[in-house]
Amino acid sequence: MTDCDETLTTLLFGRALDRDAAAHLAACPRCRAESAAIEGLERALAAAPVPAPPPALARRVLAAAAPLLARNARRAAWPTLARALAAALLPLPVILLLDFYLVRAAFGLLVAILPTALGAYIVFNYAATLALLLALTYGAIPIFVEQQVRLRRQERHA
Amino acid sequence: MATDEELIAAVASGDGRGLEELCRRWERPLYQLIARHTGGRDVEDLYQETWLRVVRAARRFDPARRFSTWLFQIAVNLCRDWHRRPPPEPVDPAAVDARAGAPAATDAALDARRLLATLPEAQRSAVILRYYHDLPEEEVAAILGCPRGTVKSRLHHAMRRLLETARR
Repeated sequence: MTDCDETLTTLLFGRALDRDAAAHLAACPRCRAESAAIEGLERALAAAPVPAPPPALARRVLAAAAPLLARNARRAAWPTLARALAAALLPLPVILLLDFYLVRAAFGLLVAILPTALGAYIVFNYAATLALLLALTYGAIPIFVEQQVRLRRQERHA
Repeated sequence: MATDEELIAAVASGDGRGLEELCRRWERPLYQLIARHTGGRDVEDLYQETWLRVVRAARRFDPARRFSTWLFQIAVNLCRDWHRRPPPEPVDPAAVDARAGAPAATDAALDARRLLATLPEAQRSAVILRYYHDLPEEEVAAILGCPRGTVKSRLHHAMRRLLETARR
């Protein structure tokens, strides 16, 4: 921008002229001639009332953003959930192997002292209970992770 | 006190209080930016849509950038899209204010709106950001996604056009 433009723009938006701009205005016939028109324009631009947001607008925005925030929270929990599941799945083969040998040994012991059908029934119930417990344990991991993420968020605000 | 960049990271992890704080900090500047861009029309809808885009894109926010630059960039892009939409009906700014329950606009307010409305959209954005929001030319250039020289040129052309309007 030329000096003229800078000076006129400064005047247009009601800014104080610095020393160079003031010197330019004093010396430049074109800027002096334009300054009257600019003053009228400046008054019009500066007199415009500053629009203020209505008080309920923030609440409206937060309500509209709630589902998006919930989606963000779910997405943010995914890496933590993946780490927790990986850590929990790591010992699973060992647990299953131990259970298998335990159930087999129990079945061998039971059929030695009880009728085969009764021994099979007891062992089946035991295995089913173990499977249920494992399923409950792994099913609870996402819930624990969500709680952990929420606690972390609360700690950050505290 | 948390910075804007920390708050937007919290919003990315679904923190509603982070968004509340950001809204509180940027409510007025953002609302004014949109209102000046659209001459007071559809301001609330555009304001809300800006924040919804912020929440949606929070995970993609680059922490090396300033939050305000990013926020204004989203708002300016939305206003640009809004200007490209065909108007549903001819609108009189005074009628808009009356419908919105706002105080009656003064002549000066209408003059300022008319003056800004005479500018092409790109020049109007540059003028609003540079002079009403007092942002440096570098930041205006970052928001508008153009070189600093283009901002200077747009401001120059805007001023010439405003002066011509004022002389009429």
